[in-house]
Formats: sequence, C-alpha cells, structure tokens
Amino acid sequence: MTARTETIQGERRSALRQIWEAGPYAWNQALITPVFLVPFFLVAATVPLVTQYFVDNYGWTGGEFWVRIAATCAMYAALALALNLAVGYAGLLNLGFIAFFGIGSYTYALVASDQLHVHLALAPALLVVVLVTMFFALLVAAPSLRLRGDYLAIVTLAFGLIMRELTLDLDRPPVLVGHQFGPTGLNLTGGTEGVHLVDPLRLPDAFPLIHGAALQSRTYYWIFLGLTALFAYFLLRWRASRTGRAWMALREDEIAARVMGVNSYRYRLMAFTASAVMAGVVGMVDAAYIHNAFPGNYDIQQTVLVFIMVILGGLASIPGAIFGAVIVTVLPFILQPLVLYKYLIFAVILIALMIFRPQGLMGTVSMRPRRALGGTLELFTERVEPEEQEVGAEAASTAEVEAASGAIVAPPQRE
Amino acid sequence: MSDRQVLLDVRGLTVTFGGLIAVDGLSFQVGKGEIVSLVGPNGAGKTTVFNLISGVLRATHGSARLLGQELIGLPVHRVTHRGVARTFQNNRVFPQLTVRENLLLGTHHWTRSGMLGSLVFWPRAIRAERRAQTEVDHAIELFRERLQPRLEDPAYSLSYANRRRLEIARALVAMPRLLLLDEPAAGMNPYERLELAGLIRAMRDRGLTILLIEHHMPLVMDISSRVIVMDHGIKITEGRPEEVHQDPRVVEAYLGRGVVVRR
Repeated sequence: MTARTETIQGERRSALRQIWEAGPYAWNQALITPVFLVPFFLVAATVPLVTQYFVDNYGWTGGEFWVRIAATCAMYAALALALNLAVGYAGLLNLGFIAFFGIGSYTYALVASDQLHVHLALAPALLVVVLVTMFFALLVAAPSLRLRGDYLAIVTLAFGLIMRELTLDLDRPPVLVGHQFGPTGLNLTGGTEGVHLVDPLRLPDAFPLIHGAALQSRTYYWIFLGLTALFAYFLLRWRASRTGRAWMALREDEIAARVMGVNSYRYRLMAFTASAVMAGVVGMVDAAYIHNAFPGNYDIQQTVLVFIMVILGGLASIPGAIFGAVIVTVLPFILQPLVLYKYLIFAVILIALMIFRPQGLMGTVSMRPRRALGGTLELFTERVEPEEQEVGAEAASTAEVEAASGAIVAPPQRE
Repeated sequence: MSDRQVLLDVRGLTVTFGGLIAVDGLSFQVGKGEIVSLVGPNGAGKTTVFNLISGVLRATHGSARLLGQELIGLPVHRVTHRGVARTFQNNRVFPQLTVRENLLLGTHHWTRSGMLGSLVFWPRAIRAERRAQTEVDHAIELFRERLQPRLEDPAYSLSYANRRRLEIARALVAMPRLLLLDEPAAGMNPYERLELAGLIRAMRDRGLTILLIEHHMPLVMDISSRVIVMDHGIKITEGRPEEVHQDPRVVEAYLGRGVVVRR
C-alpha cells in the first residue's frame, strides 16, 4: 500500500517514474534523512559566496538584492518550521502566531536600543527574549488550551490583534480605570513609528567569515539559515522521541492519546510554548537585521503568509515548510514584471493547489473547512482505503456455520 | 475466584446522562489472572462501564478500585499510570503514525524523557527510548507475522483486523495490570477469531488480567473464566460460562420473553 522508494534500477526514465509514483509520503521520508538535509544546508550556505563571485567577476549588480531575498527566505523558513511544530505536529491552530515573532522583535528592540537606553550583549538579550516570549505564550495558552479545537484559534487570533493594538498604543503609559501605569512620558513601543536604531547582533569576533562584517545581509542570511537548520533538527529529533510522538498522537486522536497516558494539557502547552519561543528568537534576529521593530511587520497578513507556507509545503513536513517559505517569498519577485497581476496569479496557484492537493506538496495531514460547523477549520488526516482483508468473502458462510454450531470451527480451507 | 487476589473491585458504579441511567449500581470483581467477559445486548452499557473505569467518562456514583486504589475521579492519563490499558470499540489507532510509532505511544506513561532531553541526546532520554523499543519488540512477538512486516508503514494502510491487533498490541506495550478489550473480534473472520482467542490466552499467560466486551458468544464461552451479563445498565447474572449460558434471564435479555431455545 505504502509506496516505498525502490532501489533505482534500469533506465533513467523509469527511475524518475518510480520516484514520481512513490508519492509525497515517500518523498518526505527521503528528504528528511541526513543524507539529504546536511548537503542541502551546506549548499544553501554557499549562496552568498556564489553571488559574491558573480558580483566580483562579472559585475553583476543584483547580488546584494538576491542575498537579501535569500535572507528573507531563510527567515520565513525558520518561522514556518516553528509554526509547523504547533500546527503540523500538535494540531494547534495558532492564528496569533506572528504576535510571538513581534514580541521577540520588540523585546530585543527594547533591550538593545536607545528606546530605554539599554544595550544588552547577545547572550543576555537572547535569554530575555526567550523568557518574555515564553511568558506571553503561557499567558495565552494556559487558559485557552483547556478549551477545545477551534476556540484556541479564536483566542489566539484575538491575542494577535490585541498585541498589534498594544504596539500602537504603548507609546504612552497605559491608563487603566483612571490609573496611569508608569511615569508620564514613558514610551515603550514608539507607536506607529516603531522602535528605531536597534543594535545589530553583537556576535563574537571569532567567526572567520563574518568577522567585522556583522552588518552585512549575508551574515544574517547565515544566522537565519542556522536557525532553520537548528529548528529542522529539533523537529526531526522530536519526531523520533516520546514528546513528539505524544504531540502527534494528540493531533490524531486526543482520547486515544490520553488513554495511552499522555497528559494532553501539558503536552499542548509544551508544543504551543516551544513554537512561540522559536518564533520569538527569529523575531529577535529580524529586529537586529532590519534595525527596527515596526508594528506593520506583525500584521495578521504575516500570520496568513506563514500559514500559507506551511500548508503549501504540507503540514508536519519539514522539507515542505522550507520549500513553502522559499516559494512564497521568491514567487512575488519572479512575478514582479507582471506588477498588478502577480498576486492574482499567486492566488490562483494557491487555490488550485488546495483543490488538487489539500494536504500540501509533501504532507499527508491536511486542513479543510469542517462542513458541520459552518466553515471552521479542522485538521484531519488523509483517508486511504485500507488493505484488503486477509481472508476473502467465503469466510461469511463459515461465520454462519460457527454461529449455528456455537463453537469456533476450523480455519476455512482456501483454494 | 475466591482463592484469587482481587485486582479490580467495582462497587455501585452508576452514571446518568440527563434522565437516562446508563449504568445502574453495577458491582463486580475481577481476580488477578482472570479473563472476565462483559456481555449483553446492544445498549446494555458495557462500553460505558469501560469508559467509566478508564476515566473517559465521569461516574455519577460508585467506585472502581484497582488493588485498593481508587480509579474513579482520576484524569484519563492517571488511570493509565495506575495500570489500566484499553482498546476501543471503534478502533482508535493513530492513522498517520507508523505501526512502530503507534506501539511506542503505549510506552509513553512508563518512560521518562522530556522535550529537551531528546535534543541533546541526554543519557536518560536515550535509555528511555531504548527500553521502549525493547518492549515494542517483545510485545510484537505475539503478533509476529501480522504486524512485524508492517512496522514502518503508516497505520492507515492496515486492514481492519490488523488495526484491531495494533490497538491490542499498543495496550499491551503499556504493560498494564488490567487490560480492557472492547469487542476485539469485531470484523474478524472465524480464522482470525481463533487466532485472537489464542492471543488473549497468551496475554493472560504473560500475567495480564483481561476484562473483555464481546458479542461473539462462542469466543466468550471459549476463553472466559467468568462471564458477567448486563442489560439496561444492570448486572443480570454472573458466573462460569456454562452456567450463564443456560440462565433463562440471559436468553430473555438477548431474545425477549417467551422464546424457546432448541438445543
């Protein structure tokens, strides 16, 4: 039933055909082996060096531009992997996902800029970002994970919107029931202006390739790529461990998972928080990269974008999330000459994909509107016809004989 | 029964859904190493009893003690920790997980390894994983030719009967004291049922106590040490299979009043 990648034999065309017929499940299994992933990340790491070569030798002017796009791709890949942990592994529909990215950005912006006149080094800043995003994740998840399914989506969606409003309003001290919190003139988030002149990451000088070049795009490309590789490693390790199996079991069948001894609340909280903290760390690096934290970057549209990447690539699929991030980031640039029509084309591609492959390019778990509840989303797993019963239809008559005689009869004779 | 140690002691178990009394003051005992069958017509409340014992449903009154420890009122996963594993009537394997992953889920409650331990190859996490794999290999021996070749396949690709086997194996890997099997023979052909009877006996011989819901009477009569008959949430009778078989109340519950059974 399950297609496996067979040993490639014979002529080339049939080998390709075999790979094609093996199907997305097998592709995904093949692509998450270290044999593929390690060379992939090594090759990906050379992208800035290759563009540099063309810039130096052929006077190519687009080098820096494409490195920046590559950095954006890598950033979204890391984000998509973080979201995949919550949505793909644990089945938690976190529609406020980008808020945690924003919390990471703003937290770093506050502890590494002139906004509060604090300039922390990399390690303490990272620690603060992790703790703050963890705090907010627990704040949202602790009460709402007691709710079931779609309610989590509603609560997290509201949380995302509230956080965005807060970034706009916290340029002055908050006033609650007539009481002002904090001194007059306190400006945390800079309102619509955002926080500017955020410190770049202060990396140790020991790295040879990036020494003295901390401000370059390619440094950030490597950092984002490193995060992507790290998150991919996390997801792979979790998949093969007790924790990850418990998450996936909860996604598949909550009651059965609990009967197996999985503390559903605790494991959901873990998945939600881990996913949020991963997003927060990416947000921190992004704030350092673009030197500011700006409310427009943490819109609901951004959540939708990351969701598109994950769903396009396939829920719970690691190569899928990376692939989805690259496509969704690069495609608008490739379609740039078509100006007005590029988003139309993009939308058509997405709709077509959702119709013909609702489980994404490399996934097996899919997401569809739930018919009974008027359009809310549910995660459901692909229904595939099971293998045939071992013994065919002739068994029915034996069953009758057995029932009549009141005893278990000898196994049926097969021709 | 009297010479055995009592493993499960159910007393006055009652649950009501609105005005409906699904299980009404049910009391019974299961001794260590017994195979006890719970039979009765559809809607008698058998599966509800399983749901109450395993904590999936909250009982209105009553108690169920496993070796003296109360199970009623515990969250579902705590019941598993106390040593109760169960299968479901409607076959709840995890379809996207492989057979092996499904089985490893059974080891969840008795292994200890955290979210971060597996990332850094923490020795305890590695030991836990290795022990879990060993137990899976041990349990799979009972199902050798059925599940062994399918270990790396996703569970959705299994046949109906194999999913039932997988569910039983998963419960077995949980190393319970008490195993609750909810209609394990449903959808199996006579040959497979015969195999299942052997399997249940083999599990009993490994030291498990089994409480079984089954509609297929010949199987029940064949393997049970005792049979409990329920109807409308009440225990009608209880006894050795051959005694229960001849009890007129049982015939009445199944077939209605005034039916003469020709032998």
